[in-house]
Amino acid sequence: MIKKHQPLRRFPDYKSSIVRSPENEPLLINFSNSEITGPLFNKNILNENDNNLILNFSKNGEKALGQEIFVHGFVTDENGNPLKDVLIEVWQANAGGKYRHQNDPSNIKLDENFGGCGRFITSSDGYYIFKTIQPGAYPYPNRGIEWRPKHIHFSLFGSMFLQRLITQMYFEGDPLIKSCPMVNSIPDINARKLLVGKLDLSKTDEEKILGYRFDIILRGKHQTYFENKIEGS
Amino acid sequence: MVKVKNFIDTPSQTAGPFLHIGCTPSITGINIFKDELGSTPFTDISLNEEINIKGKIYDGNNEPIIDAMIETWQCDENGKYFNYQGFSRRVTDFKTGEYQLKTIRPGNQINVDGTIFPSYILFWIVARGMNSPLITRMYFDENEIKSDLMFKNFNIQDRLKTLIPYTEDKKNFVFDIHLQGKKETIFFEF
Ligand SMILES: [Fe+2]
Repeated sequence: MIKKHQPLRRFPDYKSSIVRSPENEPLLINFSNSEITGPLFNKNILNENDNNLILNFSKNGEKALGQEIFVHGFVTDENGNPLKDVLIEVWQANAGGKYRHQNDPSNIKLDENFGGCGRFITSSDGYYIFKTIQPGAYPYPNRGIEWRPKHIHFSLFGSMFLQRLITQMYFEGDPLIKSCPMVNSIPDINARKLLVGKLDLSKTDEEKILGYRFDIILRGKHQTYFENKIEGS
Repeated sequence: MVKVKNFIDTPSQTAGPFLHIGCTPSITGINIFKDELGSTPFTDISLNEEINIKGKIYDGNNEPIIDAMIETWQCDENGKYFNYQGFSRRVTDFKTGEYQLKTIRPGNQINVDGTIFPSYILFWIVARGMNSPLITRMYFDENEIKSDLMFKNFNIQDRLKTLIPYTEDKKNFVFDIHLQGKKETIFFEF
């Protein structure tokens, strides 16, 4: 019943997962109305700069500090069909690896012009784009102090609760990805690669900032059970 | 027939301890969005239909989790789902680990085959240490779910009570979620 492309809930290398994962297998049930419906959001919840983390927290029009980047891509279902009107929320550390959060123990300086969150909605062809600064890597307590690879947290709402997803985008070439237990909790090595945003110079001239491409695939209306049967896994 | 997929869906990753920045930013002092998602599941909940649910999520050491987010999703009193209401986002308190939800009691729903199934609120839970979300449901009546066909397929009759809150009175419920141990809550996958 394991989906090899989804992380194991209990992965001892990621220490806090040991006490935060159930001991029993989840009950595999047919979805009902609560899974095939979900909240929908439209563009009128957005402010103009919600998709620009360089500016959306700025004081006196000053930009956030750091390497400016844009991240863009398409949200599709498992057959490549574009998913429109998907609300995406992102959050991240600042360029020094510090979060604007009262529980972040780091003594790195906050950037007064950087909040660290944004949100946007995919267009009719499933496309999204936002601007931000490259987040810094940061240490956290695990098996001793370990380092998180640079990452941006992503939260997505498809058109039904079944598609609800929270994940992270990593950056191509980051040497910290390989040793990250959260990444390695995904058994399928090829699936791990889906979380890596690829350097994308295609729009760089236009935007004058460095680009990354990150496509996201949301699951469809099928049972995990059938899925395993078909793939024979 | 089930269609064979071309691609696998993007893997989940933990929401981490700082999920509030992106999901409930005002808690971290960031107030840049027009409004926050899911601050109430229904607007204008009248006093006579209001119910209050609170509780904690306990980890394997029986400690309340202070950095979790719960999203709830439910139908209205007639069992109907809408895409503009019924959704809420709660976080557990940084000190006590308690979450609170003011909502209305969802109605029963009717299956495709005409049978009725008991009302519930879907709980979708993420936190640091959870590589993927945990999904459970809060039902209201243990006898109702004991006779529900869906549960009869599983040999879990003794665990069904983990899906029922402690009822203080008609309007006030305590729904604790246990990740491990004897009281481990039933979690679902689809
Ligand atoms: Fe993070």
